[in-house]
Amino acid sequence: MRIEKCWFCSSTIYPGHGIQFVRNDAKIFRFCRSKCHKNFKMKRNPRKVKWTKAYRRLHGKDMTQDSTFEFERKRNRPERYDRNVTENTLKAIKTIDKVRSRREAKHIERRKKGKKAQQMREAVKELEQSISLVKAPSVLKEDPSLTLPKIKVKVSQALAENQPMEE
Amino acid sequence: MAAGFASKWSLVGRSLLGGLNNNLSSLLGTSNGITCSHSLSQQQRTFIQMRTVLKVVDNSGAKKVMCIQALKGKKGARLGDTIVASVKEAHPNGKVKKGKVVYGVVVRAAMQRGRCDGSEVKFDDNAVVLVDKQGQPIGTRVFGPVPHELRKKKHVKILTLAGHIA
Repeated sequence: MRIEKCWFCSSTIYPGHGIQFVRNDAKIFRFCRSKCHKNFKMKRNPRKVKWTKAYRRLHGKDMTQDSTFEFERKRNRPERYDRNVTENTLKAIKTIDKVRSRREAKHIERRKKGKKAQQMREAVKELEQSISLVKAPSVLKEDPSLTLPKIKVKVSQALAENQPMEE
Repeated sequence: MAAGFASKWSLVGRSLLGGLNNNLSSLLGTSNGITCSHSLSQQQRTFIQMRTVLKVVDNSGAKKVMCIQALKGKKGARLGDTIVASVKEAHPNGKVKKGKVVYGVVVRAAMQRGRCDGSEVKFDDNAVVLVDKQGQPIGTRVFGPVPHELRKKKHVKILTLAGHIA
């Protein structure tokens, strides 16, 4: 018994589910349900279909590289049955699954949080460097209120640079 | 179990319609409610019955064969069954000539066949390997993948000749 992966959506196929299509070049395509099978028959590329794992991995929506994926590699060597090994494997599966789902959730959270801090930093830098495109530097020197007020940015280097420049 | 029942029901439904007309794209089109904008029409795959043309995938000399009779099965032959066929197209110098009546074992069928673990297998085309009355293959090579359903039907020789076992 083997738990397969759907060729289209990469979900797990448990025994008794799905259809296996064998092409004449002996390549086997396994599908978890008729939705994936019908999409395949329509010749859709899973990398372009938004709800598949292939799309999500390709576009960085889901975690791609992690050490927990190493445990799920396909092994073709049959292992000799050992009760202790089996017991430990079953326990390990549970913990690895928990760790992986936690890491995936973290990845998505990090992605959703946005890059506000980085965008602020970039905006400050741009304003300081390119304000001369908008206002002439002589005008700026006379009326310092036109320049950017000093915001407490975490990057202390930028502030140190600014102070000698402004004076 | 439920999956087995569902597949049997769908097979019965398909065979009833298949006897009349194999191409049911129009029926599917109306039920879907979408105009057939994609090029592939979804076909209902049915049994191998009289007048079904099959590809021959061994080196016995025949190329295309038309089924005359499915031995076993009221509705037709499936993956792994034997059929009686007439050779419609053959290589010029082969063991089998055009017009000969031969037996064949279906090694690839476009209709899905349920496996004992509950999943279903289907192939890309309908293909047959010519055998004699005893069940021994006439040719010496088999091309393309073959299913391991043949082992249960005692066509071990074909499995040994095959390149891939699906």
